[in-house]
Amino acid sequence: MSIELPRLKSYSRMKQIMTMYYGCAKMAEGTNQKQAWITSGAPVEFLYAADITPLYPENHAAMCGATKMADMLCAAAEDAGFSRDLCSYARTDIGAILAGTSPIGGMPKPDLLVCCNNICGTVTKWYQELQRIFDVPLVFIDAPYQYDEEDTDHAVAYMKEQLEEYIRIIETVTGKPFDHDKFKEVIALSETAADLWRDIQEMLAHKPAPMNSFDTFIHLAPIVTLRGTQICIDYYEELKAEVQERIDNGIAAIPGEKYRLGWDNLAIWHCINALSQKFAEHQAALVVSTYPESFCYRGPIHDENDPLLSFASTYIGGYINHGLDYREKELAHMAEKFSLDGFVMHSNRSCRAYSFGQYELARRLEDKHGVPSLMLEADMNDSRTWSDEQVNTRVEAFMETLAARR
Amino acid sequence: MDMTALMAPFEKVASDYYGYARDAAAAGRKVAGCMCSYAPQELLYAAGYLPIRILGREGDTRRADELLQAFSCSFARSVLDSALEQEWPFLDLVMFSHTCDTMQNVADLWRAHTPDTDTLIASMPTRTDGEASLRYCMAELERLKKKLEAKTGPISDEKLTEAIRLYGDHRKTMQDLYALRAAKPGLLSGAQMMTISVAAFLMDRAEHLPLARAVLSALNTAAEPGGVSWPRVFVAGSMCRHVGFIELMEAAGCAVVGDDLCVGSRSFAHGDPDGDTPIEALARAYLERIPCPAFHRDGRHPGHALVEAARRDKADGVIFLLTNFCDPMAFDYVPVKKALDDAGIPALSLSVEQHREPPEQLRTRVEAFVEMLRESEGA
Repeated sequence: MSIELPRLKSYSRMKQIMTMYYGCAKMAEGTNQKQAWITSGAPVEFLYAADITPLYPENHAAMCGATKMADMLCAAAEDAGFSRDLCSYARTDIGAILAGTSPIGGMPKPDLLVCCNNICGTVTKWYQELQRIFDVPLVFIDAPYQYDEEDTDHAVAYMKEQLEEYIRIIETVTGKPFDHDKFKEVIALSETAADLWRDIQEMLAHKPAPMNSFDTFIHLAPIVTLRGTQICIDYYEELKAEVQERIDNGIAAIPGEKYRLGWDNLAIWHCINALSQKFAEHQAALVVSTYPESFCYRGPIHDENDPLLSFASTYIGGYINHGLDYREKELAHMAEKFSLDGFVMHSNRSCRAYSFGQYELARRLEDKHGVPSLMLEADMNDSRTWSDEQVNTRVEAFMETLAARR
Repeated sequence: MDMTALMAPFEKVASDYYGYARDAAAAGRKVAGCMCSYAPQELLYAAGYLPIRILGREGDTRRADELLQAFSCSFARSVLDSALEQEWPFLDLVMFSHTCDTMQNVADLWRAHTPDTDTLIASMPTRTDGEASLRYCMAELERLKKKLEAKTGPISDEKLTEAIRLYGDHRKTMQDLYALRAAKPGLLSGAQMMTISVAAFLMDRAEHLPLARAVLSALNTAAEPGGVSWPRVFVAGSMCRHVGFIELMEAAGCAVVGDDLCVGSRSFAHGDPDGDTPIEALARAYLERIPCPAFHRDGRHPGHALVEAARRDKADGVIFLLTNFCDPMAFDYVPVKKALDDAGIPALSLSVEQHREPPEQLRTRVEAFVEMLRESEGA
């Protein structure tokens, strides 16, 4: 029996925006409009400033996952020799290229590739493969992993130099000098959107939470893909107003909210609704996640007069490009701020960067901060290893533990 | 020429991985364990450490399994397990270098769980071309140098230059040995070559160098025994520390004439250490080496590079040794396999677990492959 969860009105608006976004990109294929494929953590503002449409293979892969096409596409990549142990986003997207299909009929071909390894080393290999497939310029931005808490100066300087090179490559692709004034405008738009996105997430600290993290996953598409545009701001203003309205009217995302949980790692796209239901049955709301947080991260250096330096500091990366001590601190902070009863850690077979260290983090959270965790072994896109029964048993057991702690 | 005598010191070291380091430590030498060939060993050497490579071991990884999910590679689990079991009390310091997502997190787990050993992480650039990457790499090496100096006192330019020269000379000798092996496989087997390499990772290079040179000069003048001509095989992969895999291949009737392995030729394929300062020379040597698959160099095609290497060594076929869950290699495998297919070079893929001996069933597959090579050669 499924529980009726209140639906966000903004959801249909978001769907409209994303349909338009992909529709425009599809229509622009073969025209003079330049398009780039870019990793989710890379600085996209440069592209919007140069009027290049950014397209996100990761977002596209998630869409394939949510529409249950990913397994078939992964298998297509595996047939071409890609190991089943590789990232399922990479397999999904490469499979979509090889099979020439996806929910949008495949992504339009890129004129440029932009890869920043601030999210993982997998994208380095994935984009090398894309460059071999499409034979177009590849901007590779190397964001050194920050093992210790403070971003080191030489790493920031390295990032900045690479951003300058990024601009030079963009100029070659567009055949036009980079418009630094437009860039400033785009930065302002991007920051406004990121602030709105942060505000919305922080509103989930309210008890009961007006929105669920599972909604957050769905509603993160515009901040990923359209950060730096007015559409993005308009959308999040609308969403923010709706979430505020829920707070004002005392509407809870999970009726009768009893437990509050945090989520770590990427969403499990192929069963997002089922999981949402599963937790709702226990009156557990997922109110914060380390993943959407990545899209409003801002680095410690902020210099109005040197946007590239500020960007370098920001794009060295948030949660996932930092060591375990930093992650522990972030998780503990979330637990406190959002009054969490526990964490759900998606131990994601597809993501070694995000997942290795979770056992340790779970232990530290329990021992040092008194916050228990549930470890869910799954894969963000590939549902072939998923076992409903096993997940149900683990969720049940965890919820019993939480109940006993009360 | 007495090959047995020439090989004896290498075999001794390779048969007991950490015995050499243990003895050195007992004699009062500081020992530094390096997790990968990208750890700038010259810095450690100049600071007075004996740098050795951590290679993993046989046996289960129960303690590591509590910290690391099962979808991690066997190398990561094996070394982490040894650390948690405190199997290497003779190490004063462990140096990681940034390569893949797995080792990135293992470094963090390692340092949290081995408070008694110093851990240094060389955050080497993933990008190996361009001036920005060179500048960053130099700054990172300077940072590490300062960290080491805080432990051991100043590292003079002379000392560092000396270490860079030693490692440079040693790598050059190893490259010459690899070339000689490809030219005269009847004189030096692939298994012997790998034993020399494994010993190099575990010994003082100053001691290994004359021993390697002795093999080189003895074989340079020796004539290859005539008679049997075996199919020539090139081995590709990431990590493989087992000489046993190469022995198994050669026992099946082929000559392993070349490799692109991390515990093999790739670790000696560095650029010439040139630069205005020792740090620049060091940075260039590491950046210009044949990259590990976890790295990026604009325009590099791993498939073309491997076909070129296989052709250079006149290989009839390629055997892949693939470690499960090694993402960088798994990605490269596809274009490499395709390039080999296009070039008409047959290939066989074997899966390797770092903490286990080569399984017996591989023998049949290798034998069938070698048989196929022999037949196509005859045809």
